[in-house]
Amino acid sequence: MIWLVASALLFSIGAYGALTRRTAILMFLSIELMLNAAALALISFSKLLGSLDAQVVVLFIIAIAAAEVAVGLGLIVAIFRRRETTGVDELRQLRG
Amino acid sequence: MQETFLLPLIIALPLLGFVLLGLFGKRIGEPAAGWLASLLVLGSFLLGLVLLLQGGARWALPDWLPGIPFSLNLDNLSGVMLMVVAGVGFLIHVWAIGYMHGDPGYSRFFSYFNLFIAAMLVLILGDSLPVVFIGWEGVGLASYLLIGFWYQERLNADSARKAFIVNRIGDLGFLLAMGLLWSMFGTLSISELVEKVEAGGYSFTTLTLAGFFLLVGAIGKSAQVPLMVWLPDAMAGPTPVSALIHAATMVTAGVYLLVRHAFILHGDSFLSGLIVVIGLLTAFYGALCSLGQWDIKRIVAYTTLSQLGFMFVAVGVGAYWVAIFHIVTHAFFKALMFMTSGSVIHALGGEQDVRKMGGMRKYLPATHLHGLIATFASGGLVPLAGFWSKDAILAYSFEYGPWLWFLMLMASVLAALYSIRWYVLVFWGEYRGKEHPHESPAVMLWPNHILMGGAIGVGFMGLPYVIDYKNFIEPFLTKAIGEFPHEKLPVLTEWVLILTSAVVAIAALWWGFRFFQQKMPAWYERFQAAALQGFYADALYNTLLVSPAKGLAELLFEADKGLLAGFAGLGNLMGGLGSLLAKLETGALRFYLAGLLVALVLLVGWGVLR
Repeated sequence: MIWLVASALLFSIGAYGALTRRTAILMFLSIELMLNAAALALISFSKLLGSLDAQVVVLFIIAIAAAEVAVGLGLIVAIFRRRETTGVDELRQLRG
Repeated sequence: MQETFLLPLIIALPLLGFVLLGLFGKRIGEPAAGWLASLLVLGSFLLGLVLLLQGGARWALPDWLPGIPFSLNLDNLSGVMLMVVAGVGFLIHVWAIGYMHGDPGYSRFFSYFNLFIAAMLVLILGDSLPVVFIGWEGVGLASYLLIGFWYQERLNADSARKAFIVNRIGDLGFLLAMGLLWSMFGTLSISELVEKVEAGGYSFTTLTLAGFFLLVGAIGKSAQVPLMVWLPDAMAGPTPVSALIHAATMVTAGVYLLVRHAFILHGDSFLSGLIVVIGLLTAFYGALCSLGQWDIKRIVAYTTLSQLGFMFVAVGVGAYWVAIFHIVTHAFFKALMFMTSGSVIHALGGEQDVRKMGGMRKYLPATHLHGLIATFASGGLVPLAGFWSKDAILAYSFEYGPWLWFLMLMASVLAALYSIRWYVLVFWGEYRGKEHPHESPAVMLWPNHILMGGAIGVGFMGLPYVIDYKNFIEPFLTKAIGEFPHEKLPVLTEWVLILTSAVVAIAALWWGFRFFQQKMPAWYERFQAAALQGFYADALYNTLLVSPAKGLAELLFEADKGLLAGFAGLGNLMGGLGSLLAKLETGALRFYLAGLLVALVLLVGWGVLR
């Protein structure tokens, strides 16, 4: 159970960070926290229910997260090169 | 009767010409394209002649459609028609080589011309009604293409459409007749229908209805009252087209169709009476209208209407071989009349108004001779071709009823008058225009020489029995049409009839010759004004049929526009809704994220509370 509480805490911290940080890098970091919180929750459920299925899913999440980080950081670097900023409040061109 | 693959070859030759000239016409060029087209038609003519002399031929492609073979049949009736179509057709092709000289659409013209010959031969040779129908529509298409040959001018294109649309009514009749015959007898082969009709065991009323629908088809194609309005306007095409399609061959297809189905019409007093009335009306209408026209080609077009009326009367009174005989003589003298008109138009650089002609006998001696013979043959002067066929029609009319004979005699008086009016206005008097007339080249004169020979001589194969007891054409044709025995008139009556019609024709020609040279009296001017408008038939149809149809079309168009506007409104509504939703896309990353989290909380809350 404690792990679930830890997961919820981690998720909330990530959500708070994602909403409040201004730079894209830190937002990205917070999102990673949320992702790992979800992975932690899966593991704890797996332990509670005595099934290994969720652990397999988490392995996949870790692998995909590695790729996602590469892409995400690449995008941020590309944006920085063009705009010389990563402040999300200044990146508002894509609106309807 | 022999089975031979040479029979479809007759059709294939002009069809080949159509394809070749259509694809490579520009490269073949002038005048080779014209000669190629003419020689292919001559080939069809010779092949047909050989097969006819061998006693006819048949050919069939079994199971062309389920249960319907593609069958062709060359018997004496279709043979005579084939001789006329391919023979006169060849002469007009040759003449057109001269007439169409220098036209930018030279090879296109001959390609269409060959298409027409091919379609007409399908119509004539077809034994199965669907095959006939292919030819029937094919000649309609060729007619449409050729009337609108100079399509850059709106009037020509409109005339072509008019001809096509009016013909549709007739075509519907043909289709209905086919459907009825199929449901009654289970076959559409004419030679089998003959046997089934003879065998009996069907409803006579239904057969009459089928015959009536066939008649509707024939009325459309042969431009009889009340569907006559398209033929005068069809003169918008080049003159060879008028000569070949709208005088000599295609417009007689309706008469041919009726004669082919003589076994249905014969003995049906309702249908025969109807045909007689329609023929009479057309004969008078055409003749009276012709007397008021100023356009040289429209004069001749209305005379064609009148002569087609004569043929219909012949069919109505049961003189089927006479109808075909008149088709043959008419093909010669009317083609000659048209091509003489064409030569005059050619000589005057495209002038068609007879008020700007006159005196041509001095400038165009050879053409004048052609015109004279055409006038005499058309007016029924003894012993030219037109006299003998018209006289046979009059004799049969007398058997039908002396009143009909008298009316037909009046119609032939009018025929003599319109012929001589055309002649006087074009060739007599002083030249009223400013051109320098020149005689046509040899390539245009020779076909007319040959046609002139036909207009003089072709009548002698159908002399009345009092002169030539067993003439050539009657037994020849009745072998194919079927024997319909009738009482021959007494010798004395027959002689009286012949002499009466001969004397009346001479008197009418002479009176007309004097009358049309002087200044027209006031009553004639008034009559002329009405006749010029075709006695307002077009105006009547416009008021009764065309305008309401147009009004309906415009109404529907408006309704259509309303419907489209409705759809467009729906589209705009959706677009507005979309732009409203697009407002949510603020571009602020934090806003989206907050939205995601709120949604997450709501989802989880829903999951827990459920």
